Amino acid sequence: MKSSPAELISEAKSSTQNSKMKRAVSVLDFILRLIAVVATLASAIAMGTTDESLPFFTQFIRFRAEYDDLPTLRLFVVASAFASGYLILSLPLSILHITRSSARRTRVILIILDMVMLTSLTAASSAAAAIVYLAHKGNAKANWFAFCQQYDSFCERISGSLIGSFIAIPLFIMLILFSALVLSKR
Amino acid sequence: MSTTIDMPGSSKAAKAGKPVLVTTPSRPGGWKKGVAIMDFILRLGAIAAALGAAATMGLSDQTLPFFTQFFQFEASYDSFTTFQFFVITMALVAGYLVLSLPLSIVAVVRPHAAGPRLFLIILDTVFLTLATASGASAASIVYLAHNGNQDTNWIAICNQFGDFCAQTSGAVVSSLVAVLVFVLLIVMSALVLGKKH
Repeated sequence: MKSSPAELISEAKSSTQNSKMKRAVSVLDFILRLIAVVATLASAIAMGTTDESLPFFTQFIRFRAEYDDLPTLRLFVVASAFASGYLILSLPLSILHITRSSARRTRVILIILDMVMLTSLTAASSAAAAIVYLAHKGNAKANWFAFCQQYDSFCERISGSLIGSFIAIPLFIMLILFSALVLSKR
Repeated sequence: MSTTIDMPGSSKAAKAGKPVLVTTPSRPGGWKKGVAIMDFILRLGAIAAALGAAATMGLSDQTLPFFTQFFQFEASYDSFTTFQFFVITMALVAGYLVLSLPLSIVAVVRPHAAGPRLFLIILDTVFLTLATASGASAASIVYLAHNGNQDTNWIAICNQFGDFCAQTSGAVVSSLVAVLVFVLLIVMSALVLGKKH
């Protein structure tokens, strides 16, 4: 069955359009990865450098708050730093995808790794968000006091550092979306 | 004994030189069909896990047998905003999984079509995030209930409300099982999309 010349030309046109689209998506992927690196790094640093001492103290106790005091916030710092490191290491792979649009196996690996990092980052940041919510509101039934009333700047710091990771999470979802989109085009 | 099938229509068309429409038989599914069937079964398991998590948390309630003159010691999922969020989100996730079953069946019937797979992988990622967020935030509250925190003077309420604690812990574990199943589903979808043939 011979294809006519017109059919061959139209096939060639659609395949160049396809590769252009793949290249554009790969460039977008790289840019989003850079933004996510900045977001997760800022999150980790903002949470990791928290330290506030209240100006009053009794004879025995010094009132001091840092992220280390709450194990969930410690987990958040570790997970944010881990996500940031992974994103930096995946930048070369992303550049490879820009230059070679037809790479399939590496894209599958990237989807799987991105998804694992998305899961761990989401878990750590939502656990930290639950703790920060508790710090703001407390819980009357469990008699858990809202320590934000005393430690103002510590509270602001830990609340603000969550923003970075909540920017990075939709970016991760979009990265997975882009990789899947490119894979589905033959 | 041989049978001959006389097809006058096709021979006429061939003589006239017009193209004859021949439908190609669909390619055998191979391993992609197996993966799609596995996907469907895992989805059913995830529905059970998500519904179990939502139900267990929603029905968690414990009233202590002693009481003072003014109030009774009671703990239910209602007392914690995070647990309310957990119940609603897990119900949403279970609803999505039920609605995605037809799409999964389409993927079984047509193993080589990229459209259903792409749709499934994107929606699975979104709901994976939702399930992880609710499971992890509830887990941090449960951890606090078990261990308390000395620096913030938060008491571990599990020492008093043992039953409530066990129910909420079970619900959180069930939701993490659902998250694990989601991860497997996405990995399988990615592998199927990644093969050209």
